Amino acid sequence: MTGVVWRVWTGAKSLVVGLGVTGRHLVRRPVTLLYPHQTPDASRWNGPIDLKTFAATLTHDCIACNACVRVCPSDCIDVEGKRPDGSKKMRATKFLIDFSTCSLCGLCIDVCPTDTLEYSTRYDEATYTRPATVNDLLGPFGEDPYLSGKLQ
Amino acid sequence: MSAVQAWLAGYITWTLATLLLGTVVIMGYLTFNTLFLIWLERKVSGHIQRRYGPMEVGPHGALQTVADMLKLLGKQLLTPVAVDRFVYVLAPLLIFLPTLCVASLIPVSGAEAFAQMPYGLIVIIALSGFTVIAIFMAGWSSNNKYAVLGGMRSVSQVIAYEIPILLAALSVVMLAGSMNLREIVAAQARGVPYLLVQPVAALLFFIGITAETNRAPFDIPEAESELVGGFHTEYSGMRFALFFFAEYTNMLVLGALGATLFLGGWLGPWLPGPAWLLLKAYALVFVMMWMRWTFPRLRFDQLMSLAWKLLIPVALVNLVVTALLVPRAG
Repeated sequence: MTGVVWRVWTGAKSLVVGLGVTGRHLVRRPVTLLYPHQTPDASRWNGPIDLKTFAATLTHDCIACNACVRVCPSDCIDVEGKRPDGSKKMRATKFLIDFSTCSLCGLCIDVCPTDTLEYSTRYDEATYTRPATVNDLLGPFGEDPYLSGKLQ
Repeated sequence: MSAVQAWLAGYITWTLATLLLGTVVIMGYLTFNTLFLIWLERKVSGHIQRRYGPMEVGPHGALQTVADMLKLLGKQLLTPVAVDRFVYVLAPLLIFLPTLCVASLIPVSGAEAFAQMPYGLIVIIALSGFTVIAIFMAGWSSNNKYAVLGGMRSVSQVIAYEIPILLAALSVVMLAGSMNLREIVAAQARGVPYLLVQPVAALLFFIGITAETNRAPFDIPEAESELVGGFHTEYSGMRFALFFFAEYTNMLVLGALGATLFLGGWLGPWLPGPAWLLLKAYALVFVMMWMRWTFPRLRFDQLMSLAWKLLIPVALVNLVVTALLVPRAG
């Protein structure tokens, strides 16, 4: 009999303790973000590879050396380049990374001789079509100042 | 037309008009209540899990359930081939009717009630036991093993938990000396709310109504992890919505009954009577939601042994002690 009473008492007590736990969580601030309206701090996130913009030239510094293409274990980088008139250095005219096969290993960043590759902080890379997974890294830069002769 | 005939015609018209008005008011409020409670349930569950819950439709998602209801209204009513058609269609209507009757029997203030009965408490408990028939009809007619299991579980559960509810209510009846709900509240107005006099009965009653409304931790007739959806597995569209409607209406009505029996019903300072009753009822409903997101579901044998081995003996002892002490107190 005392065993039953003790079990009922401890059981009932544990129920109240449980209500206390959930009650405390009820009044605390939610830990989730209202995603499309609020965005998380992604500053430490290593997202899809991007070309760095240098402050001195306001453009990237890809010389189309193809080191990243050769080192890429997933074979997902496609680079083509052209030599501007009167210059020794090549400039990239095409820089595509197929994000559907990129494993974000970062070997291209390590091998880049001009340090112009970096991880971006983008995280919402879902797309509706397969071709849309291919990122055109030169897209944001527009007309190349070296190729158009604005920079030497 | 004689004077008597004219009086009779006027009387009948008047009665019909008030009946119609009363039904429309109650139905309208219960619809609002269901939409509000589903929203509240999602909000409470969200915040207990440190989420926001619905936030997109309307301020803090207040119109989310309205949108959901419109969607359900627009859905096609699918009737599986193998079901017992008549019973299958009847069940969602029948589950809702007794709840509606009970809602009209609860006195909302000292002056107003849509229906007044000297034995209101007994009628309410009898009617709310009726929902189990509708649940079993739904389970049986669905011709689905999970639905039948859910329906049968519901029957044995509600039968088991009616008894502690009735015994707990009976000890209140002994104190008040009446089964009229207005008399019971009036008796509490003279003294203190019966929660303070009868804490054990109040606890038993609360556990009982949680089980009666098939709410967690007693929601084994639905038990989505083992029975798919239980008795409403084969229902869709507005028929499914009616089961939801009945569940949340039942929560409010039984919460209001609990508030009437143990928390002093419409009594309270400053606010008008109906506001106090609703406030108390919603407080009880909130605790039921809080419990749902705290406690794990009971296994079926645990559920049965809780009712028969613990609640009913305790309720009986409580009733005997009340019976012994009442003459001295009165």
